[in-house]
Amino acid sequence: MVIFATDHGKPIYLQLAEWLEKEILSGNIAADERIYSQYQLAEMFNINPATAARGLNILVDEEILYKKRGLGMFLSPGAVAMIKKRRRKQNLERLVRELVEEARLLNISRAELGELIRGAHRGEKGEKQ
Amino acid sequence: MVVECQGLSKHFGRTVALNNLTFSIKKNAITGLVGANGAGKTTLLKILAGYLRKTAGEVRVFGERPFNSLKVAANTIFIDDNLALPATLSIAEILEAGRLFYPGWDHGLARRLFDYFSFNPRQLHKNLSKGKRSTFNMILGLSARSVLTIFDEPTVGMDAAVRKDFYRALLQDYLQHPRTIIISSHLLKEIEDILEEILLLREGQKRLQLSASALREYALGLRGEEALVKRFIAGREVYRREHFGKNSLFVVLRNSFSAAERHKARAAGLEIMAVSAEDLCVYLTSKGGRGIDDVFNRN
Repeated sequence: MVIFATDHGKPIYLQLAEWLEKEILSGNIAADERIYSQYQLAEMFNINPATAARGLNILVDEEILYKKRGLGMFLSPGAVAMIKKRRRKQNLERLVRELVEEARLLNISRAELGELIRGAHRGEKGEKQ
Repeated sequence: MVVECQGLSKHFGRTVALNNLTFSIKKNAITGLVGANGAGKTTLLKILAGYLRKTAGEVRVFGERPFNSLKVAANTIFIDDNLALPATLSIAEILEAGRLFYPGWDHGLARRLFDYFSFNPRQLHKNLSKGKRSTFNMILGLSARSVLTIFDEPTVGMDAAVRKDFYRALLQDYLQHPRTIIISSHLLKEIEDILEEILLLREGQKRLQLSASALREYALGLRGEEALVKRFIAGREVYRREHFGKNSLFVVLRNSFSAAERHKARAAGLEIMAVSAEDLCVYLTSKGGRGIDDVFNRN
């Protein structure tokens, strides 16, 4: 029988694009600052530079990065806002939908769900004592 | 293109080792040659290196026929388990000979690798253990800096730590000195990350050639109730089929479903799974899509 972990089949260039987004979101790269080159990324993650380039190009296509000929790729001034907006749409809204569906299945009221979320915000454990 | 083959075939008596292969290999890329034992990997590499003569078709390396080509011999290094090295020379002397023989030879790199892997300079090549021999051969292959560098199953006998070191060293050296590298292996998992291209062989024929980064998205797995799965995959090529549980079916096929079709499949209760590059290669290169379970299923 074959069982696949959900993440281990994920293409490396997508994982790399996500990692770069996290770096940008956490403020490690400033606006108009040069981002890692494909060769630096290849060395850091032990991957082929062509794969690294593919990861970078995802962010170029989304205009999170811009290219300067011969100089490399740089962070667009509006990058953080763009990433947040897309992630909100792609990730957060989907997660909330799944959360609400699961709560419905378990007959958890809106108030209880709200309390769970507030608890998670405060850093409490999900399980009740 | 460094390598171009058109309808390349190789026969050994009645055995067809390579059958009508057409492909090319990009300059300054790392290409992985993957296939089951007996798929023709070594035969192909030996033809490219000029060690074997083709039976039919065309093969060009640096624009020339590699067999008896001085240009190919001078710009190519072929590393495998059976390197014929002078039996009377110590391994330190072999490194010295490499310096004289290969125009791009980096003796500093050779020495550093030699020390890192704790070789005894006075040892004879033929007395090295299998793993140590592979490690030494790897040092030759990297230090030669040949325009075309071919590794045929380079990690045979190496332990896990040395294998990791080898692929790391290969990538590091490639980043600093880009060149055309071909590596054959049946362990795709350990080379997948450092490859740019993958060429898959099955029974002497090309099964697939694609960019390594596309491999993980090439196929998907579908699992669910047999009749439902069958309805979904009607008319599509299935790479792998496994029955399990009570009338459940798992199939692997080309990832050519639209987002709408995928949504429909999920809504109908089918599980959709990613297929790892390594598993996919096994499915694509096994004979006729059969698995070991077929040996035991006699019903």
